[in-house]
Amino acid sequence: MRHLFHVTPSGWAGLATAAFGILVLPSLASSYWLSVFTSMGCFLLAIAGVAFMYARLGMVSLTQVGLMGVGGWIALRLNHAFDFPFEVNLALAATATMIFGWILALPALRMRGLYLALVTLMAAGGLEIIFATFQFPNGGAGFWGVQTGSGAAFRRPWIAQSPQAYLRYVIACALLGFLCIELHRRLQPGRAWALIRRSEAAAMAAGVNVTLYKTWAFGIAGLLGGAAGALLAGSLGLLDDGTFRASESVMIFALAVVGGAHSWQGALIAAVLYKVLPALLNIWGVDANLAFVIFGAGLLHAVITAPQGIAGQVLEGLGRLSPKRGAKDA
Amino acid sequence: MHFARTIGVAGAILTLSLGTQAMAEVSCGMNTGQAATGAPILVGGIYGNAAPGDWSSSTDSAAAYFACVNANGGIHGRPVDYRVENDQWNPEAAAQAAARLVNDTPTVAMVGNGSFIEMAVNANTYEAAGIMVMASACAISECFETPNIVSTNQGPLSSNLGAAQYAVEELGAQHVACIGLNIPNNGIWSCQAVQDFMRSRGGDATAVLINPGAPDVNSALLEAMASGADTILINQPAGIALAILSAAEEQDLRDQFNWIAPTPLYDQSVPAAVGAYWWGHIYVNAELAPLEVNGPDAQNWIAVLDQYGQPDDPRDSFGQAGYLSARFFTEAMLAMDPAQLDDRAAVGAAIRGISGYTSDLMCGPYYVGDADFHMPNHAGYMVKVVEGGFEIVRECYEYDSPYFEPHIALETQLGLR
Amino acid sequence: MILARYGNWLLWALLMAGLIGFFGWGGRPQMVGLFIASGLAVGSLYALAGIGIVVLYRATGVLNFAGGAAGAAGAMTAWQLTAWGFWEPLGWLACLLVATAITLFYGRLIAPRLAWRETVVKAVATLGFALIILGAISFLWADDPRSISLPTDAIGVRLLGMRITATRLLLFAASIGIVLGIWLFLARTTIGLQMRALANDRDLAALMGIPILRVETIAWGIAGLLAGFTGLMFADLIRLEPSVITFMVIPGIAAAICGRLENLAVVLIGGLSMGVIENMLTMSPVLRGVRPIAPFVIAALVLLYYQRGQRLTFGGRD
Repeated sequence: MRHLFHVTPSGWAGLATAAFGILVLPSLASSYWLSVFTSMGCFLLAIAGVAFMYARLGMVSLTQVGLMGVGGWIALRLNHAFDFPFEVNLALAATATMIFGWILALPALRMRGLYLALVTLMAAGGLEIIFATFQFPNGGAGFWGVQTGSGAAFRRPWIAQSPQAYLRYVIACALLGFLCIELHRRLQPGRAWALIRRSEAAAMAAGVNVTLYKTWAFGIAGLLGGAAGALLAGSLGLLDDGTFRASESVMIFALAVVGGAHSWQGALIAAVLYKVLPALLNIWGVDANLAFVIFGAGLLHAVITAPQGIAGQVLEGLGRLSPKRGAKDA
Repeated sequence: MHFARTIGVAGAILTLSLGTQAMAEVSCGMNTGQAATGAPILVGGIYGNAAPGDWSSSTDSAAAYFACVNANGGIHGRPVDYRVENDQWNPEAAAQAAARLVNDTPTVAMVGNGSFIEMAVNANTYEAAGIMVMASACAISECFETPNIVSTNQGPLSSNLGAAQYAVEELGAQHVACIGLNIPNNGIWSCQAVQDFMRSRGGDATAVLINPGAPDVNSALLEAMASGADTILINQPAGIALAILSAAEEQDLRDQFNWIAPTPLYDQSVPAAVGAYWWGHIYVNAELAPLEVNGPDAQNWIAVLDQYGQPDDPRDSFGQAGYLSARFFTEAMLAMDPAQLDDRAAVGAAIRGISGYTSDLMCGPYYVGDADFHMPNHAGYMVKVVEGGFEIVRECYEYDSPYFEPHIALETQLGLR
Repeated sequence: MILARYGNWLLWALLMAGLIGFFGWGGRPQMVGLFIASGLAVGSLYALAGIGIVVLYRATGVLNFAGGAAGAAGAMTAWQLTAWGFWEPLGWLACLLVATAITLFYGRLIAPRLAWRETVVKAVATLGFALIILGAISFLWADDPRSISLPTDAIGVRLLGMRITATRLLLFAASIGIVLGIWLFLARTTIGLQMRALANDRDLAALMGIPILRVETIAWGIAGLLAGFTGLMFADLIRLEPSVITFMVIPGIAAAICGRLENLAVVLIGGLSMGVIENMLTMSPVLRGVRPIAPFVIAALVLLYYQRGQRLTFGGRD
């Protein structure tokens, strides 16, 4: 039981970062940065899901932002149809997206590597069209719930009405997401995944139910993505299909690789690159089109130069500085 | 900066160096000729410029006008500090832009906004912050059906109605196929109004919707053909409209239908882009005075852009709308008590109090009023695409549709009728 | 025996006939014909994009997301040259050259640095390159209504009361011709043989002394030429908007999936079928709104069909 709650140095650093995010960051940030950090927090949760699947199982999901859209859609739909508090909407949206992830996974799981990635890309393409066609509910009548004019309000959690409190709430949710992944890693599923990652054949021979555990992983990615979508809906009060394009899903995966899929630091770097960097370029007055060029070039450069991701490179650098600790961690 | 404009820029510089003395007189704000030196008044603006399109011409023109105001005594001696943000066609960036301009900065109003998504994302923010938005380039229902946004342009609904009315009255249209984007607050909203209008005139209309993610528009055109319409209303951004027209040219459909369109096709690049096949056959509604009218205010706008704008700022109807929003805002500010110029609520009240401002760029009077909906501009021109430009086929006319009943009631109440 | 061999084709033919019949039922035959003709044009573009992807993927192991962006850059260059008053064929040539140059640049300078990474990582890296190209194009050419027209647009044949332009016929013929040409190239030339060897087993091919760099460069060049041609055709037939042309690769990948990323003939037929079905959906009042979803649904179904009966077992290489 002790190993379950053992906190590694990296874990302490993660908790410290989350504490900084919850206690200090909201009081420092202006309204603009609150909004940037909040959406960064939402995408951090989604990236955690993709990075986890890639790192633990070598499975590539190119539909994570689409799953966020599914979660966001469900949260908005519930919000405008019933009087549930935010937490209920969040939990239901995350659960429903998890189930959606399972459904997506079952046929996809017969495939590996590139084919799995492509079938998820097709799902992302399909979801993009669905969102563009039916849009997100904003308080209108009927199943799709879309009306013109200004939309109805989206209820935020009662403990997090202000933007500062909502940022804290999102960071706390992201932390929970990381803890959920870590918990899985340390229990039965984690061992199964490790075996599957090494060799599916070996895993099968050892009596591991490969299909179950792969589907489970897909479900977790869906859960995190769905929660992230619901949180994003709470941040903006509404959602727009422009956020959930298939290319964004590919981008999220690319950034997860660039950041480093194996550690929480990598996911954080990916989220910072995805949301904070464009916001900075915007403040510095860089033309939005040129920002695209810079972003793409940075992405290529990082993929080429940092095979373990930026986080891997940094951690390796730190490890070299203190050889003893580096050896122990490895 | 842009290839396509480089030659134009070079030409402009040449003209500038040759004919500086011929520069037209401009009229801006207090017209003192003295630069304003007081504490700046903060004004915001949001435009969208990224992959799908560049909607920055309204804030460009507004910025040029404010620069001119600042060089001419400002607002009671105080310059306007006009800050613009790009929403990059990204809903989150739009929310962040509003957070920066409305919550982090004590702006007194937003002027010249031009975007496809910003208003939908931020309408509630503006209402909560109690800030008035004098937008200029709007295409979605939120710009016209929310309490804190008033737009100088007409948007697709009104411009569609103008085009449909012209088709009924002059081209004998009975059945209009409205090819719109499959977006609730844009295409569906504006095509629905055309259907209501056509039925009120005893005709019929069919909405044909294109998914914005779809590359191919040919199937929508075929669907419109199959609907039995005699008139095709191309309720689309110029790029997609061109695609529809080229597909129609391929099928040689020009003479089988009347071709009408709202303002997006009133763009100086369109006559060349559609080609000779279409000259004389496309009727476009112009929501502001076409360049050919060239009244005193239109000349002032061009002069302001020449002297205070960038050479590559577009001279298009969104630019006119941005100029008008900035001008009307300045007039409202000049009429205020100078002590209240930094008070968002007071400025908002002054904007709501705007009534009966006029310009030769607009057919009717500009007003705001205290209402949950705002659409001051619902009269326009009809032009025809001809070789090298446009020809006016109908001067200012007011659109006649059940949609405008509340607007007309408000205008009567304000004494504008 | 015959059924086993031609079963898939028979199934495909029955499905296509069934779908066209189902959606076209009650419509005027001329309308149905128009929808099919329109669908074949879009489908040819999907197929061309897919063919470029497959040729490159087989020879180099890179799934290229940047083909659309390269085509967009080429098409914009062609438009610009024409707008500057150059002779039109020069513009078309420039379109092919620019797209090829951009693709070769990536293939020679960037792709080798990623050669040892996983296939998926190589694929997403090309998306970064696509963003660079798209950003640069959008920066150079401000948004403005533009169009390209080819002289073949003015020529048309009348068929069952509908007019089909020579451009559409050219595109359709070109897509078949390109598949045949590449097939002959792969089957008859040394380079083609070497490409097939690379596609079959890269490590073994390298050991055998196949000049990988040369073969890969040729593959990148072919992919670039195809991207340029697709971009030009897309700009003429659909529209000249860089972001739309750039993201055409996603339905292109759907077409490539139909051919399991290897069989060019199936990619062609898959792409054409996608275009036709997408257009036929317009005749269904229910599915009309979501018609662009067709390529993705078809690709997903085809993938599942290929995997039928397979169990998750000791898999080989992807």
